[in-house]
Amino acid sequence: MPDGWLAYLSRIRYRGRRIEWQAYLFILPFLLIFFVITLLPIFFAIYISFNEWGIVGDPVWVGFDNFRDIFQDDWIPKIWGNTFQMAALIVPGTVIVALLMALWINQEQWLSGPIRTAFFAPHVVAITVTAIIWIWIFEKETGLLNVALYGIGIPKQGWLTTSQWVIQSISFVTIWQAVGFHMVILLAGLKEIPAELGEAAVIDGATSWQTFWRITLPLLTPALGLVITLEIISAFRIFGQVYLMTGGGPAGHSATIVSYIYNEGFVRFRLGFAAALSLLLFFTILFFTLLRTRLVREQSH
Amino acid sequence: MAHSMINTRLLLRFLRTFILWSPGALVALLWLFPLYWMLITSVKPDRLILTGIDLIPTEVTWDHYRTVVADTPVGRWFTNSIVTSVSVVAGSLVLGSLTGFALARMHFPGRTAIFWLLISSLMIPPEMGIVPLFIGVLRLDIQDSYLSLIVPPLASVFPVYLYRQFFLSFPRELEDAAAMDGCSRFGTFLRVALPLAKPATLAGAILIFTGNWNSFLWPLLVAFKSEWKTLPVGMAVYTRLDIQGTATQSGYGEAMAAVAIVALPTLIFFLVLQRYFIEGVTQVGIKG
Repeated sequence: MPDGWLAYLSRIRYRGRRIEWQAYLFILPFLLIFFVITLLPIFFAIYISFNEWGIVGDPVWVGFDNFRDIFQDDWIPKIWGNTFQMAALIVPGTVIVALLMALWINQEQWLSGPIRTAFFAPHVVAITVTAIIWIWIFEKETGLLNVALYGIGIPKQGWLTTSQWVIQSISFVTIWQAVGFHMVILLAGLKEIPAELGEAAVIDGATSWQTFWRITLPLLTPALGLVITLEIISAFRIFGQVYLMTGGGPAGHSATIVSYIYNEGFVRFRLGFAAALSLLLFFTILFFTLLRTRLVREQSH
Repeated sequence: MAHSMINTRLLLRFLRTFILWSPGALVALLWLFPLYWMLITSVKPDRLILTGIDLIPTEVTWDHYRTVVADTPVGRWFTNSIVTSVSVVAGSLVLGSLTGFALARMHFPGRTAIFWLLISSLMIPPEMGIVPLFIGVLRLDIQDSYLSLIVPPLASVFPVYLYRQFFLSFPRELEDAAAMDGCSRFGTFLRVALPLAKPATLAGAILIFTGNWNSFLWPLLVAFKSEWKTLPVGMAVYTRLDIQGTATQSGYGEAMAAVAIVALPTLIFFLVLQRYFIEGVTQVGIKG
């Protein structure tokens, strides 16, 4: 009696309303892919990290050996240090430039549109494009930057070839590419702030500086929080710039977490070790995003 | 007399605007400069490339593009990029709109839980799944194939989120009217909701296309053979080109032509459809 069965199903209520069973058919295709491509690999990654797993041969269960290796690996402190240094430059750098430009453009003048376009443009090109253009700009002998600096009497620097500059150079390129995207999010946040609030404050005798700190910034907190979180996540995942511009050099001075995962996992095929590293990357990002949430929450109280 | 006063006032206003806006405009020009420099260098003859900073090329040549086309399987890479990006866009929009519609407008147990599951998965860096997915690709022997390039990006939560936010903003009456006309839920989705969601579809299509066109790490991993590389992965060979150069010869022109080929499709796309780019980012930003 399929009819009776269907009729029964269609009468089942959930929170006072009939369940729309078709919904499960709507979500099934995506959920299947999500399960296979996103969820399953997360658990599989945890399993792999307890194995010695090469590209050929059977995996061997090694318990916590990969994690012990991580903490004994000479490169790890260096690589986490590099990544932290880049994040420490990129996150504030991007957010501050994006905020300044957003405040600037928000005044709604005739140049707002073109300026927004100029800032967003680098965001739509591939990392290969960014990397190769900047390799040239940073090149020691004929690169634009050194040629320009030499012109005003500053000696030529190896921007990508010396440990002194490589982290700053890569961070700068990253900021260059990311600012436009965050500026647009912040602009949207600024548009949400009612103009009357600012006007009222001005009538009450507030300076524009006070208006910014007392009204604009607090009301912009949700958008700022989002921008900072997104930027923390992407800063810790830096890969393309490093892989293409320096290969992690000179002597590992620009190697990052993900470039190390790539080298260990996909060049040396130490897949178990790479999986363990990726777990550590996850906890690093989790720690900093939670820290961010806590800091912003405390500030708004 | 009155005439000159107006002129003075206009001039003052112009000056004020100019002073107020020139620093921003200058920064914007500097920001755009590297991309501009790439384009003009790609059409400069070799002997003019290292001779100085001339902002407008005095001579235009397509030689560098010809060299790139002769040296690399650029047509094949271009095809790979197009096929992959278009397939991912089509697939993501179908999956995303169906799922987003159900999550926004349908009543069923588990709706909230599933939504939060999807959202919290954004906290996990995609790199965590890369080792297992890579092993899976090898075991299934689907490296060097469209399957391995197209399927993993389809799991992105972004289109689902985009459509859900959009469908949430529809008024209740819309579905009631559709139901009265005898539309099934799927009919409502297909004939009423989806056409109305055109802005979301456009914004989604553009952002997903650009994202996949530019995607780097995953295509780098699954393309073992040169003929399966996408454009950004393939053109990475130009980082290894000897671009030190000498006073008269350099590889810069070639390298810039190579990356211009990668950059131009998304740049043109962006310049033409800017509004939708901005809308897409804004929609995700505000509600996030």
